[in-house]
Amino acid sequence: MSNQKNKKEHKLLNLIGGDKLILLGAIVVVFALFTCLNRNFLTWQNMVNLLVAASLVGIVAVGHTYLIIAGQNDLSPGSLAAFSGTLAALLLSFGMPAGVSIVITLLAGVTVGLFNAWMVNKIKLEAFIATLVTQSVIRGLAYIICDGKPIAISNKTFIALGKARFLGLPLTVWLMILAFVIFGFILARTKFGRSVYAIGGSSEAARLAGLNPQRIITLCFILIGVLTSLGGIIFAARMNSGQPAANINLEFDAITAVILGGVSFAGGVGSMFGTVLGVILIQAFNTGLIMVNVPTFWQYVARGALLLFALTSDYIRKQRREKELLEASMRNVK
Amino acid sequence: MSSVLEFKGISKYFPGVKALDNICFKAYGGEVLAFLGENGAGKSTLLKVLNGDYQPTKGEYLLDGVQKHFHSPHEAIQEGISVIYQERQILLELSVAENIYLGRMPSNRFGVIDTGKANKMAAEIIRDFGLPIQPTTKVKDLSIAYQQMVEIMKAYSRENLKVICFDEPTASLSDAEIDCLFEVIQKLKEQGKIIIYVSHRMKEIQQIADKVAIFKDGHYIDTVVTKEVPEQQLIKMMVGRDLGDIFNNLDREKEIGDVLLDVRNVSSDYVKEVSFTLHKGEVLGFSGLVGAGRTEVMRAIIGADKRKTGEIFLEGKKIENRSPKEAMDNGIVLVPEDRKMQGILSNLSVSGNINIALMDQNANRLGIIDPEKEKEAVEKGIRDFKVKTPSPDKKIVELSGGNQQKCIVARGIATNPKVLILDEPTKGIDVGAKSEFYNMICEFAKQGLGVILISSELPEVIGLSDRIIVMKSLRISGEVMREEATEDRLLQLGMIGEDTHE
Repeated sequence: MSNQKNKKEHKLLNLIGGDKLILLGAIVVVFALFTCLNRNFLTWQNMVNLLVAASLVGIVAVGHTYLIIAGQNDLSPGSLAAFSGTLAALLLSFGMPAGVSIVITLLAGVTVGLFNAWMVNKIKLEAFIATLVTQSVIRGLAYIICDGKPIAISNKTFIALGKARFLGLPLTVWLMILAFVIFGFILARTKFGRSVYAIGGSSEAARLAGLNPQRIITLCFILIGVLTSLGGIIFAARMNSGQPAANINLEFDAITAVILGGVSFAGGVGSMFGTVLGVILIQAFNTGLIMVNVPTFWQYVARGALLLFALTSDYIRKQRREKELLEASMRNVK
Repeated sequence: MSSVLEFKGISKYFPGVKALDNICFKAYGGEVLAFLGENGAGKSTLLKVLNGDYQPTKGEYLLDGVQKHFHSPHEAIQEGISVIYQERQILLELSVAENIYLGRMPSNRFGVIDTGKANKMAAEIIRDFGLPIQPTTKVKDLSIAYQQMVEIMKAYSRENLKVICFDEPTASLSDAEIDCLFEVIQKLKEQGKIIIYVSHRMKEIQQIADKVAIFKDGHYIDTVVTKEVPEQQLIKMMVGRDLGDIFNNLDREKEIGDVLLDVRNVSSDYVKEVSFTLHKGEVLGFSGLVGAGRTEVMRAIIGADKRKTGEIFLEGKKIENRSPKEAMDNGIVLVPEDRKMQGILSNLSVSGNINIALMDQNANRLGIIDPEKEKEAVEKGIRDFKVKTPSPDKKIVELSGGNQQKCIVARGIATNPKVLILDEPTKGIDVGAKSEFYNMICEFAKQGLGVILISSELPEVIGLSDRIIVMKSLRISGEVMREEATEDRLLQLGMIGEDTHE
């Protein structure tokens, strides 16, 4: 009897994904808590602000979702976003048209992705360490190309991009939503997406099954490079300037969001929908902390705590998966 | 008083495998008890449960009536239970004495290690064992056999040693060295230790073991006195049925056609100048010891390892096979030996595992996969290969080993290959599933595929192959037709390398 009931509950959970239900609960709790503490939290204007603030993290998190599922990681997006914004501003200051500046900057993002992939594939470095190298180098380059000073942007087309709105939402928010939808579909329904999961689970088995893990890893790094550059460009457009010191800890928030959303650090597991929820949760958390006047330094501590929470839940999920497997096999082998 | 080790209902489950199921029996001090069973019968797993490497899923064990539960091999050693493995667990750069007293070197009252004292103590043990080695010698300068002796002495040096287990200890020893080991075991036996001896070699078991405990597919079958039971019957108890019948009943009616695959002079970092041919409809066996290079030849052929020299022709056409993918597109697929790490994609479902090689067929020009085509393919695979799974969406790791293997073969066959390479396809699979695989292999050959079968089980290679290639030390050492194949002859070629047949 109770067994049957359990099964029904299981089906319901599976429909939304059991883990996602907990995540949705956490989002509700965070929203309720901050609304109690500050009446202005749950207002239309604040929600739009929240989405705008989330957009850059969200766009980068799309890339991290692919990379971490493929069993890799990237610590360079904070630097790359700042570099991209600065580079775009620099090119505009030379009098280049907005379109050309954007294309060149995106190509810089591709190059950084290729470089990261090269270190991982050819020098066989751990992605964590390899991208730490890039993080430092690119941040340095961001300062070098502008002599350490922010570059103001006066190109009208470019500034218009930062101000553009559609259905009440700024362009940057739409870009995030588009990235979620398009790359969510690619991850779930295409050859490329399937390959990402396969190599993240077991790279050698995937290779023997006819996949090319190195090529897939390269594509993932290029993807996060381009997305990050795009995010950095829009950020600069909103700020009307390219700032070499901007976006520090961007990867920290993006990775936290992705892990919160159910992607496993071990690779091979996760979904884009989870990342969407993770981004909403982390941004609500960050915005809320500011709105209830938590001192800046304590905000760092709180974010660390949130990452710890994400990692712990990743660990618990992994334990549970293994336990379920064990139980399933006990039923199987009679 | 002699010690008693009692296992009470020990079970150990892994995903997809019941490695041990309700094991109950006793081992007594002053006796050598051999564990006998096929690969995957659970012998090594039981040792790992005993010494705390694995935690039992159920059950308990008692040493002299006291229930024991260890969290690590280290704890077990401290309580007097040691396992000596095939792979040495010693530090090559340290001396014999330092290895024996590792982690508990005698020290003076200032906490400074007293090497002199350690050497003296070690010298006594060496004398007990009657070995011609010095306590100060670095272990890396000793032969494999003496390195193993150091490990045994390390266990022996614990005053409370009660149980000592040997897991395939003679795998890399010469005959003289084996005699030396047996003398030591005899001494330990006289001192009343409980001795457990795991080996595949029937001759050794007859020689050293007082009793034999027989295991089969994770079950404990019985313990018998070695002298009272003839070898043939021991084997029958361990295999559970006569394998000969299975092979005799196979449908081997077929036609062997033209040359399908022609491998000429292939070398890689791991194999040297290998040449052979494979015909349509032929089952070509690859025999030889583990490490002889059988797997590596296949990896070089399909482009999983880089080829340094050599050419490959398929149906007379030269092919390159720069990657496993290219080999697959050319019509050559490999079912790898290491199912867990190289075969299955452990995070994906049954459907994901079968369809991973079919993405080109299942997707449209934009790379979007058609779920209907995937469903069709997986259902065909499950039907054709009789995969036992509640649904195609079940995670593959939840299936039993045999069913996982069927999925990997189904994946390969779904790509419509001309050559199917099976590397130890029945390793760790129960007898029932094995005979299914044997029928499957014959069926593939009948359909005109060229099948390459790598197997360490001699009856399997002999029973299935039309022709057998034997490898030794990274080269082909001989070729035997089915009619002339005997276990002795294959062993001769695999171990000595020359054919003394004619």
